[in-house]
Amino acid sequence: MSGMSDSAGGVRAGAELMVEQFHLKVLHAVLAVRTPRPLAAAAAAAASFRRRDRWFHLPLHDPPPPPEAADRLDELAPGEPLVVDVFLCPSGGVGARGEVVERWTVACEPWPDAAGGEEVAVNRAYKHCFTLLRSVYAALRVLPAYRIFRLLCANPSYNYEMGHRVDTFAELFSRTQEAAMRSQRFVPVETQLGRLVVSVQYLPSLAAFNLEITSLSPSVIIPDYVGSPAAEPMRAFPASLTEATGPGFPPSYQQQRPHSWASPAFWPHTPAHQARFSPPPVFYASPTPSPPHFPPRLMRWESAPMPIPQVSERRSPAHRQNMLPPPSPRRGDMGAAGALESPSESGRLIGRMEELRLADPYATSSPRHKGKDNKDESGRFSALSSCDSPRQDDLDDVDYHFDVDDVDTPVSHPRSADGKETGDQVVSSSHKSQDAQVGSLVNLLRNARPLRNPSNSSQTSRAESSEVASASSVTSRRTSDALEELQSFKEIRERLLSRSSAKHQEPPGKP
Amino acid sequence: MNCETCQLKELELEPTEIRDVLRCILHTIFFHRTLSLVRPKDVDCDFLEITYVQCGLPELEKEVDEKIDQFTAWVEKHPNRRSQICLSFFDEKQTPSPKRYSKSNSSKGLTNIGANALEETSTRRAALESSVNEVLFQIINFANEKKDHIPAIPDRIFNHEIMIPRFLGLCCPGPIHSSRHLGGHLSSKLIPLILEDT
Repeated sequence: MSGMSDSAGGVRAGAELMVEQFHLKVLHAVLAVRTPRPLAAAAAAAASFRRRDRWFHLPLHDPPPPPEAADRLDELAPGEPLVVDVFLCPSGGVGARGEVVERWTVACEPWPDAAGGEEVAVNRAYKHCFTLLRSVYAALRVLPAYRIFRLLCANPSYNYEMGHRVDTFAELFSRTQEAAMRSQRFVPVETQLGRLVVSVQYLPSLAAFNLEITSLSPSVIIPDYVGSPAAEPMRAFPASLTEATGPGFPPSYQQQRPHSWASPAFWPHTPAHQARFSPPPVFYASPTPSPPHFPPRLMRWESAPMPIPQVSERRSPAHRQNMLPPPSPRRGDMGAAGALESPSESGRLIGRMEELRLADPYATSSPRHKGKDNKDESGRFSALSSCDSPRQDDLDDVDYHFDVDDVDTPVSHPRSADGKETGDQVVSSSHKSQDAQVGSLVNLLRNARPLRNPSNSSQTSRAESSEVASASSVTSRRTSDALEELQSFKEIRERLLSRSSAKHQEPPGKP
Repeated sequence: MNCETCQLKELELEPTEIRDVLRCILHTIFFHRTLSLVRPKDVDCDFLEITYVQCGLPELEKEVDEKIDQFTAWVEKHPNRRSQICLSFFDEKQTPSPKRYSKSNSSKGLTNIGANALEETSTRRAALESSVNEVLFQIINFANEKKDHIPAIPDRIFNHEIMIPRFLGLCCPGPIHSSRHLGGHLSSKLIPLILEDT
């Protein structure tokens, strides 16, 4: 008899443990994909799982729920629900309550009478929990809030933040909220203690929140901010740079600065936000979320422009020929008119510079490119690490020079390994002050030797011209393109000089 | 054949969407019916804004991809035809048990319509995403409603079979097994409705 009671007690203890672990597993699964965190903070996937992670044969990659959330489980009375509210609130609204977009409720509803669950086999209940948890796991990724979670993980600069609240009671929804919500109630699992019930109420559409990126950076003081040419193309430079040519030239990004497109890891959440919404990122170092489908082209356009070329690499005449940007593909006319056709498109020039510069940092092809379902044995979403790489490179490789060597880098192979190596060389080159670089460019423009007169080539002997025919055609193409570029440089120079003169006329003290 | 059958919602797909959608649906089914230790892996669809879960079993992924390749090859040869794929789960019969036989078994089957020439619009894509989400919830609900017949927790994935159409007019090939059906197969729904030219 005592053996039977012990056995019964042991079975009941097993059922209690199973119910407790079930609550924890659901809480873990929900918070893992409803607590946005920096992608760079995601830890590497564990090759193996701990024994306690294997409950219900569903190990979750993410770290366990934070203590303050998990502690709620200890406060649960029999039959009391565990309620997880996921809400969106305006970014920066510390203390403001957001709107609940999802509510998960987990409860073990006790049997009406004590003997109600005696016939329930623990093994059977345990097995049924497998299916239920898998359904919860899958549903978490189908519901609309998952998309928001992914967006916020990739970029925290949206106008909304996602937070959660874990409690043992559920605040009543208003009638309007209740009417707007849909419900999904999973088939309960019968256990010895009661019925395990999981349900979710959710907003079927989150389009009303109008998520958009509000700023290029969160509220963080950037002491070395030098501005973005995209936002302020004609922004005045500091006084030291205006002595030679004045402001207006594309600024240099020699100093590392956080970019809006950088990994959010470099912008730690403010303590206030952390305290209010979610546990510290250290608790959630999972690579489970992956960034949105930003096309690589878009990311490239958001990167820093190229600074002014180095002085040392302008000295040698041998480099001079290479100093000019790559020839325009369409220019083949050697006529003076064609050669002197003015692109007058400094923006296009700068864009081409960017293109050349961007050939390097993004040379690393991302496996996320196509293979989103990389077969990672650990079960990790491998796209995360690959998407981290470009952003890391973007931050590390900020010293983009409008360097002669880079100019000749073939544009047609922007992602080649060679391009990446060239970019590394550019980065490793010495840093020059901005004014020195501006001055060097101005010197270049002033001292550029005249281009070869096309009419002279006609005076060469026929034999020579036949031999150099192919070479001259290439050269003439380069020359005509070089002329174009020179013209554009001249225009830029004129603009700089005019701004400089205007600057000198301004009252002192103005930046 | 006494088994549980689940008929999923029909979907109209373009050829480029077949692979994406089939992977999403098949893997979701497997994820629910694989009770052995899994390593859940989130996967994004290529063309739809849908994330589904895989079991993290490379062999299973390979098998699913091979079957999808066969199916897409079939669809290419028979465009604008309604077709279906049937996924069945089986259990090895060990000891005859009337109680067990009396239990209904479940299966997952799904129907699919061969690719039609449809204009690709964002509206259509959104509608397709909504439909696929409906199918995923169908799977979720069915998997939870019908789980009593699932045998004891195995240490491996259940025996299964993914049946794709091979010949016009034939039924989905019935499984020739002596094992108890965890799943069955859908009766033939190969009804060529309207043969449209591409």
